[in-house]
Amino acid sequence: MPPAGIWIDGLVQSCIYMTMAFGMVLVFSILGILNWTHGQFYMLGAFVVYYAVTAAGIPFPLSLLVSGVIVGALGMLVEKFIIERLTGPGYGLLAVTAATMALIFFFEGAAGMAFGLMAKGMATTLPGVLDMGVFSISYQKIAVIIFTLIVMVAMYIVLNRTKIGKAIRATAQQPDAASLYGVNVGWVSLIVMGIGCALAAMAGGIMGPVQSVDPFMGRIPMIMSLLAIVIGGLGSLTGAIVGGIILGLLNSVIAYKISYLSEVVLFVLVIAILLIRPQGLFGAASK
Amino acid sequence: MIKKWYKVSSLLVAVVMVLTLLATACAAQQTPAPAQPTGPITINIGVPMPLSGTAAPWGQIPTPLREAFVQVLNKQGFQVNGQTYNLKLIQVDDENTPEGGSAAAKELIESDGCKFFAGHWSWNFSAIAAVTNPAKVIFLTRNGAPDALPASWGGGGAYDPKTMPYVVFGTPSQEEFLADCFALVDAFPNYKKIGLVDSSVSKGGPGWVAVGKALDAAGVRYASEWFAPGTTDFSPMLTRLNQEGCDIVFVAGWVGEYMAMLKQRYEMGYKNMKVACSGPFVSMDIYQAVVGVDAFEGAIGSYEAPWAFKKTQVNPSIIAQCQEAEQIAAQTTGAPYDYTGEFPWVPAHVEILTQAMQQAGTVSDPDAIMKAIRGGTFDTTAGKWTMSGAQTYGSPIVFGTPASLCSIQNGKEVYLSEHPMEPLP
Repeated sequence: MPPAGIWIDGLVQSCIYMTMAFGMVLVFSILGILNWTHGQFYMLGAFVVYYAVTAAGIPFPLSLLVSGVIVGALGMLVEKFIIERLTGPGYGLLAVTAATMALIFFFEGAAGMAFGLMAKGMATTLPGVLDMGVFSISYQKIAVIIFTLIVMVAMYIVLNRTKIGKAIRATAQQPDAASLYGVNVGWVSLIVMGIGCALAAMAGGIMGPVQSVDPFMGRIPMIMSLLAIVIGGLGSLTGAIVGGIILGLLNSVIAYKISYLSEVVLFVLVIAILLIRPQGLFGAASK
Repeated sequence: MIKKWYKVSSLLVAVVMVLTLLATACAAQQTPAPAQPTGPITINIGVPMPLSGTAAPWGQIPTPLREAFVQVLNKQGFQVNGQTYNLKLIQVDDENTPEGGSAAAKELIESDGCKFFAGHWSWNFSAIAAVTNPAKVIFLTRNGAPDALPASWGGGGAYDPKTMPYVVFGTPSQEEFLADCFALVDAFPNYKKIGLVDSSVSKGGPGWVAVGKALDAAGVRYASEWFAPGTTDFSPMLTRLNQEGCDIVFVAGWVGEYMAMLKQRYEMGYKNMKVACSGPFVSMDIYQAVVGVDAFEGAIGSYEAPWAFKKTQVNPSIIAQCQEAEQIAAQTTGAPYDYTGEFPWVPAHVEILTQAMQQAGTVSDPDAIMKAIRGGTFDTTAGKWTMSGAQTYGSPIVFGTPASLCSIQNGKEVYLSEHPMEPLP
């Protein structure tokens, strides 16, 4: 049995994967595309928080919100001027997939030019370690867990208790019917892209003080959140959360057990899960 | 008629040729002898370096110091046959790729007229050597590049002393790593076990096998761990090393990963676990910011400040030059300059080159200069090195560090221990 520290480490990873995956699923359920640039919005969010804290002196929690607003707005621009145009008549899914993949390199290159390639480190905003005897956890990591809980509760309220949330759910289920009932589907798509990118940005921002910040930091979280979605079931928000938890814990425990081969085993496990249940744990089986 | 014309024309041609010869001879007599230059002559030194891409920091960070060092050298210049010479470093981005290396080498030779390359670091040895050797350009590099290393060290075996007579390289990274290991043991004789950490890319390579044999022979207690490229979470690895009884973790020069390990071992409560790196600290500010002041305390790294060495003798005048260069670099950057890792690179290379030119009595004959390098002894920023070549695959040694370590105390580098580097058998 792995020691408690490994489970805690896995839980912190889970928090990031589930936040990222939640945003990706949200975008997928409305726009019908996988936003391959999701990891780069995570990276941009980390940079916004880094500069907000170190250059502008904005308190860390407020910086997280700032990163959500700025990167969310950027995501909306991407939706409006790229995704919306490439999902119109005459374009296939390949066009928008290629465009979001191209944006990976665009954002990484632009970040490299603007912020430099050297990894940047933020001073720990919540210094100190909570020593529980059998394990220790830094206050910064506790903040990641609390942040995720707040985000998940907030998203639950937004999706279930607000008008825009109901519009999002309606559009996800029946876009044509939702449109007939007066829901502006184009506007909903824009809002959802903004929320999805804001979640990725805040996830990157909250991890800024835990890990270093560099233009390429979004790649692994993007792949992991994609796997979390696949495990949980494409299109299922519950699946994204459960998939994120499973993946984070598995990643940490397997890495503890077998070191550098962990990713190989992890991906084999993911394939095995999909062979047994192709629709993922919470996805609907295709007819 | 034709015969007559032939005779006349032959006579005319002969007259023209004689006149031309005479005119040329007169012109040569009248041309004044080239005036002896009164000021120093500048010799361009090409420095192919990664200035873009993910490896860019390794080209950018040392730049202020290497330029400052040459600036200090140029105050007096160096004399060869009574003529004073200065050096000029010309850096070109080699992108850390074979294509970039080849293009950079061609640019440095063809556009900038460089006859010497120094400070090469990137993983594109073969591409650059393929350009420099035919041009008889003396190329000072390192032997850490996997394509250059002999197959017995797990490399591509690109280096061949017979076909690459103008290449000068030094000791493999593994030898430095080994010497640092011994320096750690010297510093902490009561250690329990050292956890050696490297990328899984290096796992099982002959170089590591040689290191393992040398550690076993010396009776060093150690465990090995490997991380996949791109790993950012080292908590599982650190937990395992802790359970294996390792009280020292020694990372093979991976700066980002080292920082993550320092931070994460602190967060996991392994405060007594010492974490060391075989590379020098890039910048105190960066480490403190990334790792956190508390977690950075006690960190161990290479320390290549010539004035701090206790076992390696460095010429006092060179120490003074290094200290002056460090001050200039600090003025240039507007912040304390504490990256000591550059001292055994370009500064050592230019010391070897200038002294070899003086010993050879020429700045333009690469064969004579190479003859001086082979078997010569040179005063460098990393101590006095005799270029035997016997232990380095037929090439003279150019790059070697004294395996000096420091630990961070109150945010500053404090000398810890030192172990002379001996090439592996």
